[in-house]
Amino acid sequence: MSIQDASAQEASVEDARVEDASVEDASVEDASVEDARLATTAGDLQAAELDGLVALNYGLNSFLEPHAVFVLSGVRPIGESAVVVDRAGTSTLIVTPAWDAERAAALSRTATTIGTDDLARALADALTAHRIDPRKTITVGLSTLGVGLVKRIEAALGGKVHANDTYARELARIRAPRELAAARKATWIAERGYEHFLSFARPGRREFEVAAELHCFMKGLGAEDNFLLLSASQHNLAVRAAGSRILDVGDIILSEITPCYQGQFAQICRTTVIGDPSPLLHERFALLQQAMRCGQAAAVPGASVGAVTQSMDDCLAAAGYGDYCRPPYMRVRGHGLGITSDAPGDLTIDSDARLEDGMVFVMHPNQYLPETGYLMCGEPVVITAVGAEALSERPAALDCISV
Amino acid sequence: MRTVQPCTMIGAYGFEQDRVPGDEFQIRMNALREAMDRKGCKAMLVYGDTREHSALAYFTNFIPRSRWALALLPRQGEARLLVSMSSRDMPAQRLMTWIPEVVTAWNWESGFDPWLAGLGWDAPLTVGAVRFDLMRPAQLQAVEKSLGNRLRLIAADDAAAARPTRPRELSLIRDACTVVSAGAGAFLRAWRDGQGVETAALAGERAARALAAQDVRTLVSFDGGHTLAPFRGSFEPRSKSTPLFGYIAVKHRGYWAELFVGAADQPNDVQHRVQAGLEAALRSAGPGASAADLYAQSTQFLGRTPLHHVLGGSVGRRIGLSTNEGSELRRDARHVIKTGDVYALHVGASDPPMAGAVASAMVAITTNGCEVLAQSPG
Repeated sequence: MSIQDASAQEASVEDARVEDASVEDASVEDASVEDARLATTAGDLQAAELDGLVALNYGLNSFLEPHAVFVLSGVRPIGESAVVVDRAGTSTLIVTPAWDAERAAALSRTATTIGTDDLARALADALTAHRIDPRKTITVGLSTLGVGLVKRIEAALGGKVHANDTYARELARIRAPRELAAARKATWIAERGYEHFLSFARPGRREFEVAAELHCFMKGLGAEDNFLLLSASQHNLAVRAAGSRILDVGDIILSEITPCYQGQFAQICRTTVIGDPSPLLHERFALLQQAMRCGQAAAVPGASVGAVTQSMDDCLAAAGYGDYCRPPYMRVRGHGLGITSDAPGDLTIDSDARLEDGMVFVMHPNQYLPETGYLMCGEPVVITAVGAEALSERPAALDCISV
Repeated sequence: MRTVQPCTMIGAYGFEQDRVPGDEFQIRMNALREAMDRKGCKAMLVYGDTREHSALAYFTNFIPRSRWALALLPRQGEARLLVSMSSRDMPAQRLMTWIPEVVTAWNWESGFDPWLAGLGWDAPLTVGAVRFDLMRPAQLQAVEKSLGNRLRLIAADDAAAARPTRPRELSLIRDACTVVSAGAGAFLRAWRDGQGVETAALAGERAARALAAQDVRTLVSFDGGHTLAPFRGSFEPRSKSTPLFGYIAVKHRGYWAELFVGAADQPNDVQHRVQAGLEAALRSAGPGASAADLYAQSTQFLGRTPLHHVLGGSVGRRIGLSTNEGSELRRDARHVIKTGDVYALHVGASDPPMAGAVASAMVAITTNGCEVLAQSPG
């Protein structure tokens, strides 16, 4: 890689925790992930004859973007942060607010950790301490910061410097064993959450009450974050965040359940009917399941993302829904998952990204169909030699809540 | 307090016209139009992202759940809201604002340029920019490219920052205070019932979310109150000798309220002193009071014990649509407290090896003092 490629209920939580013992241990000691990445970065700097790399984050934890500071340090800081790496491999983590330094230092794989309330100034001091010439420095993630902070950092760096915003994404594009185990654990949490949801959601409850219960249940299982969309309608146009709608018989509940465990988001997409689903709904949902299987089979190492997407679209087109394989009837057929690396990016027919063994992302042929409305079907997958292996134990089915 | 920003806001949020009706936004927009006239602006562009969107929410009621949004508010003509989400998601976004025209920002030229053309090109134009410091550089470049050479972009943050707390805002903050009090109470009760600190914090969060909190942030101390940490997920059992020290903030109908939560089986001197400091702050907080004096009054009881470092040198700040609306109460602050402002007050100290503690309250400044809206549960 070239560094200059500039392009519920407490009881149920306890039950789930006991069952958790059967899941692969995601906390297995594997500190070498960040150590190896820091060493690779130093090697890339030497090869490019650069002095240093500055990775930055704005205090955001997008499930669709890499978090360059987390990738290199193993720490998810509270506020704006940076990692400085020099060509000798020495590294410094800078976190805000200053009071978070102690926690960050205990977790960080960098040689040094600094807490500050002025990131730009601390960064300038760190570059001096590392004897890094800003003119021989590359930034990662500076473009994700607000322009106010960007200007202060550029002033600290003595002006604009070269950027490579895809560096962290590429560096971490294959999940390390510890990260894959965490992704599996996140998936396990999502599935337990969905089971809990099936027992909790019922007519009379409001969407936000169900979402709140689901969120807290999964947090009780260790999920530090959650991109959770949950909404209902008799005819959905799309999934959205929970509102105040009171659930009732005949509602189709869409849920995009995305817990994060130790920095690994995993997403399952589910469709649930209150009451008995119609035969037509069963039939149309089966189309999405078929598209999912086609996508999984096509997603082998070396396959292009565009081709995998096309294989899913073809299933829907064959059933007469080719015109619906575009926004606003769908968005993408899946996407990478932060906060480590969002590779391979969005699953769209235009993407020429290539899949690699060990990549983790979500595949979801979610689709609006005129007869049924929007339906959701998706799993987190890892690329293997024979296709995309779902990390979930039970693939999406059209589930119903008895009334 | 800085807390970890979640990837999205989970709770329900819509344009609830029984609580914030359309005429309320007419009043706010009229004030903004007056600011446009003063500055000679044809329009104001108000930016907000998922982390900081106080000005955007004030004028539009819209809060970006993820990514960002830009309100295009002309002096005359139709407003438009650009939201950084897919066209698939626009129907849901339209439920969160009075602005009828809500379009995806992902097709920038078709979303922004036609609206801009509607401002007219008869003379050089000036457009005000609010919170563009938060905008990513590439987005700013897109705006500047659309504006071209005939339009001038000027910073207009003061137009949004100077806004008074509206009566309806105070009502909504009262509601948020009710929710944070319930959350803080559940937090404390769970700890007193023998739960570990993370389990207790989760009980507080669950209580607040059950009351329709849109967002809940908690921090807990694993070291007896010397520092705070975000969620760790270890759910360790309660240590009998370790006092409780935690923090909870809730967002309800767009407005934040926050409290520290603390308790100990054997209250110590630090806890008594921070409580005395808070009581002094409550006595001193009133219209015309100097912020620096309020700081001095609050900290006098701490003696030689330093202000708790998690407070970042401040004993409070204004709070509302953001957890930090400015006007921090610091030793060197130069502003005075104004009637109608809402403050989060925090007086705390850490004195190792004794436990750290923070006593806190939410207050509204009245004509003759302050009204306590919420206070750390005891």
